[in-house]
Formats: sequence, C-alpha cells, structure tokens
Amino acid sequence: MRRPDASVDWLEVLPCCIGEIRIMHRAAGSFTVSHRDDTGLEGLAVYRDADAAIELARYDDAGRYRSLKTAPNLRHGWLFVLDRLEQAREVIEHFYPGRAAAYQTWRSGELRTTPLRETLGRQTGMYRASAKISERQADELVGTFCRSDGGCLRTILWKRDAAGASPSTLLPKVKFDPEFDQTGRDEAARPLLCQEACNLLVAAARNVVKGGQ
Amino acid sequence: MQRDFRNSALLIVGHGSTVNPDSSAPNLAHAADIRRRRLFAEVACCFWKEEPSMRDALLFFRDSSIREVYVVPNFISEGYFTQTVIPRELELSGRTTERATGQAWHYCGPVGSHPMMTELLLQRAVEVAPGVPEKETSLLIVGHGTNLNDNSAVAAKREVEAIRRLDRYAAVLNVYMEEAPLVSDWAKLAQTANVVIVPFFVSDGLHSYEDIPVLLGIDVGPGGSATDRKNAGEVFRQNPYHLCGRNLYYASSLGTDPRFAEIIVEQAEAFDRHRTLPMESVTESLVA
Repeated sequence: MRRPDASVDWLEVLPCCIGEIRIMHRAAGSFTVSHRDDTGLEGLAVYRDADAAIELARYDDAGRYRSLKTAPNLRHGWLFVLDRLEQAREVIEHFYPGRAAAYQTWRSGELRTTPLRETLGRQTGMYRASAKISERQADELVGTFCRSDGGCLRTILWKRDAAGASPSTLLPKVKFDPEFDQTGRDEAARPLLCQEACNLLVAAARNVVKGGQ
Repeated sequence: MQRDFRNSALLIVGHGSTVNPDSSAPNLAHAADIRRRRLFAEVACCFWKEEPSMRDALLFFRDSSIREVYVVPNFISEGYFTQTVIPRELELSGRTTERATGQAWHYCGPVGSHPMMTELLLQRAVEVAPGVPEKETSLLIVGHGTNLNDNSAVAAKREVEAIRRLDRYAAVLNVYMEEAPLVSDWAKLAQTANVVIVPFFVSDGLHSYEDIPVLLGIDVGPGGSATDRKNAGEVFRQNPYHLCGRNLYYASSLGTDPRFAEIIVEQAEAFDRHRTLPMESVTESLVA
C-alpha cells in the first residue's frame, strides 16, 4: 500500500468521514471504521481483516449487488477494529476503490479532469453511440444518474464540454463542491472525487441514445 | 530465478460487470495473493465495468520509487479489449509507455496466451473427474464464441490442439455457446462414457452458473442457479451428472484457479524476457 505524503493524506485528521464511512481513533492506538449511521451502535459484526470489506462493499442491505461503489447504499451493521492506519486505508480502498488516489492527486494540484463530451467521444464498439446524446438529454441524464440522493456520492469535477459547461443544470451547485458533505449530514467529510464520467454513465448515455431505459 | 520487482508495480486489468458480483472476484483474489508474496512494491486491480476504472488507475503508483508498472490483462485472448479498450483507457502508446514522471508502463500479454494455460486446463479436468480413466473420457473446452472482435475461440482452439497432441484423452473438443460446434450438441460430439467440461473463462458468472448447465441439460432448478447467490456454485459440486447415458463432469471457470496468480506474475516476467522484441513477435512466442 502506498504511503502518501502527509500533506495530501485524507486520514491526516481523525475522526474523519469519507462518503458513508466514519474512521475513528480508539484508545490503545487502534482504529475503527464503520458506517456513519452505525456510530456508537452496539451489536455490530466486528471484523479485523481489511479484506472482509470486499464482500461487505459488494451487496446492499437487501443483498442486491452494488454495481456502483460510491452509490449511497452501503450496507449497515459492521465494524472494523484495526491495529494500524494502513489497514484502515485498505478497508476504505475496498469500499471506495480508487478514490484515495483521486483525492491525493487533487490535493497535489495534479488531478486532470476530462469533459463528458471527450469521454463519450473516445468510446468505440457498442458505446460509440453514447456520443450522440443531445445536450438536453445529457443534462437530464447527469442530473438524475449522478445526484447524491439516490445516485452517486461523488463530487463532480469534470465539465460537460471543453468550453466548461456545467455537467447538469439540474444538480445543485454543492454537487461540484469538494467541501460539501454529499451525504447531506453536514459534517466535515473528505470528498469522493469524480475526475471523469464512469463507465456506468457512459452506458446509460448509450441507452438514452438507443431509446432504452 | 524470479525477477526482482521491488521497484515495480503490477496492475491487473479485468472486465468486471455491473450485474455479476463474481466477475471481479478472481481478479481481487489473485491480486491479494500476489500482494501477500511481496514481489511488487504495489499490486492493484482496475476494470472496464467496475471500480476502480482504468482511468482511475492512471492516478495510481505515485510513489517515486516505483519506476515501472506492469499491466497484465486478465483476459483469455488478444482481441477488442486488449487491442483497443485497454490501450485507449490507460493511454498506452505501445509495449512500453513512458509517463511524464519518467515511470514506464509495460503492456504485457493477456493471461490466456500463456503456455501454462494448457497445463491448468488439464489439471482442472483431472481435479473435476478424479480417478476417471482419461482414455475413456472426452474433454470439452467451452469458449464463448461470438462475432465480436474477440479471439477467445482462437485461444480455445489453440489449447484444444495442444492437449490433443498429448494423446491423454480419448477426444479433446472445442465447443461454444454461440457458434458451432455448440455446447448443446455435447452428447452427439462426444462418443465416450465419460465427458469432462471445462469453461475457458476468466471468472464464473451467468455463463458458467446457468447458461452452460442449461445447454448441457443439467437441471438448474426454477429460475436457475445464478439467481440464488447461495446456490450459485452448487452446480459444480454435483458431479457426475448422469445425462444421455454418460457420466458428465462439469468444472467451474478456469480463471477461478488460484494458480492464475502465478500466470499473472509470469506474464510480467515474460515481458522482460521479450523486452527487445516487437509486440507481434512476443504474442507469437508466447502462444507457440
């Protein structure tokens, strides 16, 4: 596991919230990671192996497969008790794959973002059609698909096009603000940054163009 | 002797799935296995349809001590993904791409092109039908087989020919889900009392849990086994099946074999052995 520069480390101050997760420092030098909703609850299933997070991240409370890890449907009822902060990093990486690297790169001032039109424009094969999505359709799709309440908890940093158009006029301005807690809990939280439209959004754009769901 | 990768990172690229929870599982398991061996400074996975994406992976390996990154596609064959999607998404311009930081990203061959595939297929066949006389057994290797730009059928044919040359089984045959010879014709294609079926895929999922069993005539129950998480792997634990007067042994997808981790490492080593050769020669030498 990479040892990040302390100045860009998203766990530099504890307790810390990332997405739906809370990381805390316990007495005796250990660390806990839990669902933010479960803070202080008794009877949580305790895990000490960071890799257990892989399976926990895979299904929601109803046992349905979570195809988007940053969707606001993280299952409840678990608690990681870990001896080292590195293990907490591994747990977070399993819950929110790739987000630590995006945060670290952003804090370093080196995060390159890609406009939606560029992402769609480079697709080939079955996804080539996604580039045909109209401005109005893209505005509606992003406004629905990426919304924090029910869609995705990431903070959008990309623009709709090279001219810098907003990804969607239907999303509140705070959706693009890394300082804002996308869960709506209004706590200090590290952002799950989105530097480029994901493949799920590309696939959804294709469906819109093809007249599907 | 194993090469020293301590100043290198390994990036395993998988397809992933938005509907199949088991698609990425082998990639993650192989990565964890290789990580435990501490061969590389870092080991990471990325996916086309899951997180982290290949675009996310462009942000990995920022430790300045990591000078080289070995990119190994966990795919069965060269084809659309290895030739178009992965190079495009990872911004690879050739066999080695030097980033602005001076870090070199090496693009290795897909796991399915490794010569050890033949041995793994044979081992899987023996494990699923222990003690069954090979000379009274037909071995059927299942490929996807589509008209996509995907050479998985070519890879499956290559393996069948390699196993056939060993003259261990009464017959070794290719079958496909979507092109002839079809899986559903297995009883006509195989003449022996025992039939072993091995899916040549990198992960289990709807195809191996349900589609292929249905094509074989296995009763997967109402709604199919894939719809029930707990019973998803049950279809591999009921061998032998007695169908069409034969003993049928059905294995899980080859890519779930833990030995795939070794092949992923081998592909990085193979890159170094063939560093000076052009891409086409490397691919040819790996499959020869």
